[in-house]
Amino acid sequence: MKRALPLLVAVGLAAAVLVPYLALGGASFEPTPVADPCAFREWRDPGDLEEALEQIALSALDGAACELGVSREDLVLAVRNEEALEEFADEHGISREDAEQAVRDGMLRAVDDAEEAGAIGESVASLARRVVESVPPWLVLETLESLEFLLP
Amino acid sequence: MRAALLGLGVGLALADSSIVTLALPEILGEFDVSITNVAWVLTSFNLVLAALAVPAAYIARRRPREAFAVGIVVFVGASLACGLAPEFEVLLGARCVQAVGAALIVTAALDLLSTTLGSDVRTIGVWVTAGIVGAALGPAAGGVLTQVLGWESIFLVQVPVALVLLAALRGLEAKPLPEPAGRPQLTANVALLFVSGGLVAALFLIVLLLVDGWGMSPAAAGLVVTVMPAAAIVVTRFRPRSLGVRTGVASGVILVAGGLAALAFMPRAGWAWTIPPQILVGVGLGLALAGLTELALAGRADQVVHGGWTLAARHAGVVLGLLLLAPVLTTALEESRDEAIRAGAAEVLDSRIPPLDKLRVAQDVLDEVARADDAGELPDVERAFEDRPDDEDYGALVSGLQEQLDRAISSAFSGPFLLAAALALAALVPVAVMRRRTA
Repeated sequence: MKRALPLLVAVGLAAAVLVPYLALGGASFEPTPVADPCAFREWRDPGDLEEALEQIALSALDGAACELGVSREDLVLAVRNEEALEEFADEHGISREDAEQAVRDGMLRAVDDAEEAGAIGESVASLARRVVESVPPWLVLETLESLEFLLP
Repeated sequence: MRAALLGLGVGLALADSSIVTLALPEILGEFDVSITNVAWVLTSFNLVLAALAVPAAYIARRRPREAFAVGIVVFVGASLACGLAPEFEVLLGARCVQAVGAALIVTAALDLLSTTLGSDVRTIGVWVTAGIVGAALGPAAGGVLTQVLGWESIFLVQVPVALVLLAALRGLEAKPLPEPAGRPQLTANVALLFVSGGLVAALFLIVLLLVDGWGMSPAAAGLVVTVMPAAAIVVTRFRPRSLGVRTGVASGVILVAGGLAALAFMPRAGWAWTIPPQILVGVGLGLALAGLTELALAGRADQVVHGGWTLAARHAGVVLGLLLLAPVLTTALEESRDEAIRAGAAEVLDSRIPPLDKLRVAQDVLDEVARADDAGELPDVERAFEDRPDDEDYGALVSGLQEQLDRAISSAFSGPFLLAAALALAALVPVAVMRRRTA
C-alpha cells in the first residue's frame, strides 16, 4: 500500500489537471459543426428587403444542400465561382448541371416560401425568380447586388 | 565550474536534436525541397546519434578527455558546415557529422562528470538534467535565432560556445580504464525509448502550437516552455529519498502521460493553458528520465558504455516519436483546415454584416487561407477585413473567425498529443516487467 501511494498521488495530480480541462469543454474545443441543412431553420421577421433577400438565399442554399446531401457551407463555397463549382461537382460525383439545378430549385422554392410568408411582395418575387432562372448560381449574388438600388 | 561547462556541453549537443524545429519552414524555402525531405534535417541528427551513441561510448570509456576534445572539434566543424551549406544535401550530411560529434561529447561528458563530481547519483542527475534542459530550450532558441539572424545563425553561434567548452578539460586527470561493460539493462532502456517518444511531443508540439499555431513570437514561446525543464530540475534536485527509483519512474510516466493527455484537451487557445500540463510533464520527466538512467547504470562497471545505451534509447525514441507523430499531425491539420473553412463559412453566413457583402467576405477569407498556405504561415483573419468598416458587426465576425481558427489548430494537435501520451504510457510495460523480475 505504501508503495502504491506515490502512484496514486501521480494519478491524482494528472486527474487534477485533466478533469477540469474536460469539464471546461476540452474534448469539444474544435471547429463548430455546421448545421444540418435538412433541419428546419426558423424564418426571422425581415426588417427590410435586404434581409428578406438574404433569408431567401440562405433558405435556398439549405434546400439545395439537403437535396445534394452536403452542408450549406460546402455549397456556398462551391457557388462562389465557376471553378469552385466544377471542383465541388467532381468531388461529390455529380455533374455541374445537376449541382446548378439543385441550387436553382432551392432558390425557387425559397422565393415561393418567402412570398407565401409575406416576406416579399409579388413584384420582387417575380424579379427574383427571373434572376434565378436566367443566371448561373455563382452570379446570383452578384446579380442581387445590382438590386441594391431597390433597398432603402 | 568544470561540471557546469560539461553540463553545458551535454545541453548544447542535445539541443541540436530539436533546435531546427522552428527553422524548418525557412530551410524549406531556401533549398526548395519537400516537407518530407526537410524533416530529415531534424530526424537525421537523432537517427545518427541513436546509432552511434554506443560506439562513441566505447571510444569515450578509453580516452574520455580526447573523445570530448575530438567531439568538440567534429561538432564545431560540422556546425560551420551546416551554417554555410550551399546545398540541402550538404546540410543533411553536416547534420549527420554533427551528431557524431554530439555522441562523443555527451558520452565522454558522463565520464568526465563522474571524475569531477565523484558521486554517481549527482553525475547522473547533472547529465540527464542538462540533456532535458538543452532539448527543451532548443526549439525556442532556434526560433529566436531564425527570427533575428536567419536559420544559419543557429549553427554558427554554436561554434564559439562549443570551443569555450574545451576549457573544461584543463587540469582534468583521466580515471583508470573500467572493467568490461557487460550487457545493457534492456527493460530500462526500452522504457527510456517510450518515454522519449512522448518527450518529442512535449518539446516539439508545444513549441509548434505556440508559435506556428497561436502566433506567439519564438522568444515568448521560449519563455513559456521553460516551465517544463524548470519543473524537471526542481524534481531532480528535491526528489524525496523515501521514493523508490522504480516507483518514482512509474509515477513519472503517469505524470508525463497525464500532462500530454491534458495538452490534448485544452479547453481554450492560449499559452496559460499549457502551464499546468507542462508542470506535470516536467515533473514526470524529472522522475522518469533520471530514474530510468539510474536503473540502466546501477551496478554497471562501465557507466560510459551504459550511458551510451541510454543515449541511444532516448534518441531512438525521439526518432520513433518524429516518425509516428509528424504524419498524424500533417493529416490532422489538413482535416482541421477543411472543418475550419466550413465553420468559418457558417460564421460569415450567420453574421450581421450586410448580406450582399457575405460572399465577398467569404472569398477574401479563402484567398487569405490560400496565401497563408503558400507562405507556410497561419492565416491572418484581420488581413481579409482590411478594407472593410471597423464596426461592431465586422468586429464580431473577425472574432468569430479567429475563434474557429484557434479551435481548428488546437484540435489538430489533440491526436498527436494523445498518441504521445499513449507512447509514454507504454513505458509502464517494461517498468512492470522490471518490477516483477526484481521483486
